[in-house]
Amino acid sequence: MSLSVARRTVTTPILLGLLLVAFALLALVVGSKPFNQTIIDIFLKVIFVVGLWVFIGNSGVISFGHTAFACLGGYIAAWTTIKPMLKGTAMPGLPDWLMGMEIPFWASAVLAAGWAALWALIFGAVLMRLSGIAASIATFAMLAMVNSIYSNWESVTAATSSVVGIPIVRSIWPYLIAALIAVFAAWAYGISRHGLALRAARDEPTAAAASGIDIPRARLIAFVISGAIMGMGGALYAHSIGIVTPDTFYLGLAFITLSMLVVGGMGSLSGAVLGVLILSSLIQILRWLEAGIEIGTTTFALPGGVQEIALGAVMILILMFRPAGIMGNRDLSLPRGAASDSQGQTGPKT
Amino acid sequence: MKRLIAALAATTCLTAPALADDEKIVVGFATAETGFMQAYDKPAQDAAMIRIAEINAAGGLLGKQIEVVNADTKTDRAEGAKAGLSVIDAGADMVVVSCDYDFGSPAALAAESAGLPSFFLCAESIKAGIQGVGPNSFSASVLAAVQGATMAEWAYTKKEARTFYRLLDTWTEYNKGICDGFDWMLPRLADATLAGEDTFLNEDASIAAQITRIKALPEEPDAIMLCTMMPGAVSAIKQIRAAGINSMILNGSGVDGSYWLSAVPDLSNFFVPVQGSIYGDDPNPEVTAFNAKYKEATGGDPSTQYVYPGYVMIDVWAKAVERAGTVETSAVVAELEKMTGEPTLFGPRTFTSEIHHQNQARYLIVETNAGKPGVVDEWTISEAIPVADLMK
Repeated sequence: MSLSVARRTVTTPILLGLLLVAFALLALVVGSKPFNQTIIDIFLKVIFVVGLWVFIGNSGVISFGHTAFACLGGYIAAWTTIKPMLKGTAMPGLPDWLMGMEIPFWASAVLAAGWAALWALIFGAVLMRLSGIAASIATFAMLAMVNSIYSNWESVTAATSSVVGIPIVRSIWPYLIAALIAVFAAWAYGISRHGLALRAARDEPTAAAASGIDIPRARLIAFVISGAIMGMGGALYAHSIGIVTPDTFYLGLAFITLSMLVVGGMGSLSGAVLGVLILSSLIQILRWLEAGIEIGTTTFALPGGVQEIALGAVMILILMFRPAGIMGNRDLSLPRGAASDSQGQTGPKT
Repeated sequence: MKRLIAALAATTCLTAPALADDEKIVVGFATAETGFMQAYDKPAQDAAMIRIAEINAAGGLLGKQIEVVNADTKTDRAEGAKAGLSVIDAGADMVVVSCDYDFGSPAALAAESAGLPSFFLCAESIKAGIQGVGPNSFSASVLAAVQGATMAEWAYTKKEARTFYRLLDTWTEYNKGICDGFDWMLPRLADATLAGEDTFLNEDASIAAQITRIKALPEEPDAIMLCTMMPGAVSAIKQIRAAGINSMILNGSGVDGSYWLSAVPDLSNFFVPVQGSIYGDDPNPEVTAFNAKYKEATGGDPSTQYVYPGYVMIDVWAKAVERAGTVETSAVVAELEKMTGEPTLFGPRTFTSEIHHQNQARYLIVETNAGKPGVVDEWTISEAIPVADLMK
């Protein structure tokens, strides 16, 4: 049964993966450094939003706090990859074994995923008993808490100062691979019995509980997996610009990732990925227009700041006409009848 | 989606990188054109543009005209890295980055890894340079610690202040830097004592508790070293004066400007170190001439002294390029590092292979008396602050 579900739905991650590969190839073809960095940024957002989707999409509980896991991951990159000498001056309070550690960036990403998952397990064990708005507020409190600790623990996180010296990775492939891992992991979780149980609990909590689903446990599993994906993303984010500060991983990132998920459609993995790709592309196009584009002899440029306003307006319009997001509950798949109803979801077909 | 990608590709082609050519020298500004950092970056950048226009009018640099390319950091770190890469792709020979270390460093790191020199517009942390970016990075301003040290030594020598009270707003590195400099200087002043110390946060609506502790001292201290910045500074100063504490208040350059003085009417006994005077009374008439030029170019007078580092930056860099006879990074950096007491409009500048920042500089002292600020003195600390003390 599960194999056939896998076969029936695997087209979704494959199509999404191909889309990501297409973006990577586009960067390769264009060959400009800032464009390359833009695509890296998009891949990072894909990782974050897919991480969010694993929990929010399947459980129906809006989490404002997942950026905290990205923060945990980002600082793992700082703790494990900066040269020991630099670490000594910026973060003198680190234990000796961590002080001497210098591992490659991919290992720091793996470690970051594990570290974030550990904390997701600890926080989740408490928070997952809550439902609805109470759970959302509690996740927000978690974000504020992590941010406060990281902004004030001077000897270990250098407080609000930027931590520099993280090796910068400007190649696009590690980010592509990480985004693909996130997409496939999210898909695999979605079709697993835990994912199915959690979605059942989302749609009919009473019936699900009566059928023997331990709802807090089902939520906890999703929370840990999504925490791990966010942690990995946080570490890679640190490697993409070479510095971390606690406020990088605070409200700004939390709200942009959440709005990408909402606009794309929280109900499906495709919504998460397409939300990022569409909004990021839109942001990028608006930025180019802000910077000015020469058409013939005249330069056409939007006034600075229009990008943020236009983005807000477009998001409102999308949600006006498609309240469930661009994808609603549907996933990308090849046009083949039954296959479009992937992941056992019963979204309206339009 | 296909159409989207096509549109993406099309837009990219339109902004394809300009190829570097030998007929011009390119300065890339990866600075904030939007967001809150714009308020800091724009004035300094305008000043830099004035110096560039002057050089171009005088025949250019090495006989070539200086061209400028811009990229907006949006006051965002990730965008900052992109902005840095954009100006590098556009052929920048030197990269100018945002005023603040936190927001400027992603672009500076991009320049560093491309082997290009970078200048922070007005960062005042030791990290904005070799220590936090790499061997090709510089800052155009003066370390915050020098401001604290200058005020302490000047008040001790010229105002015979002996008892000091240290009030630190722990919000930013800049604030801590001012107090670090004060801490370094104080033990060097014979029989100067610290009457007490306290901290607050910029966003604190009330510092009544801190003021009560100052009032509880057996004697009012001669001077209060106030390490803070806008916007919280105004409220702190107002509260100190309202409580009837009339000690002289010593500050960093961050509170320069007259735009906020109406909030604390008739403020007196208030001292700020500045690199140049915006009040039209700079001892160097060329500074006043520059202010006029700035007004002509931007339509307004400089609002604070943070305009000036932008001018200094282009000035010292252009001199280094002229001396090196090339824009090649290692040659330019070597020439910059040879500068010892290099005269500029805003005081002498020194760079060494150990520090690309000013750990000793001439400051003008601005006193606000009955709500009117004006230059009363100038001071250079007797000894440069050692790098080791700045790094702690």
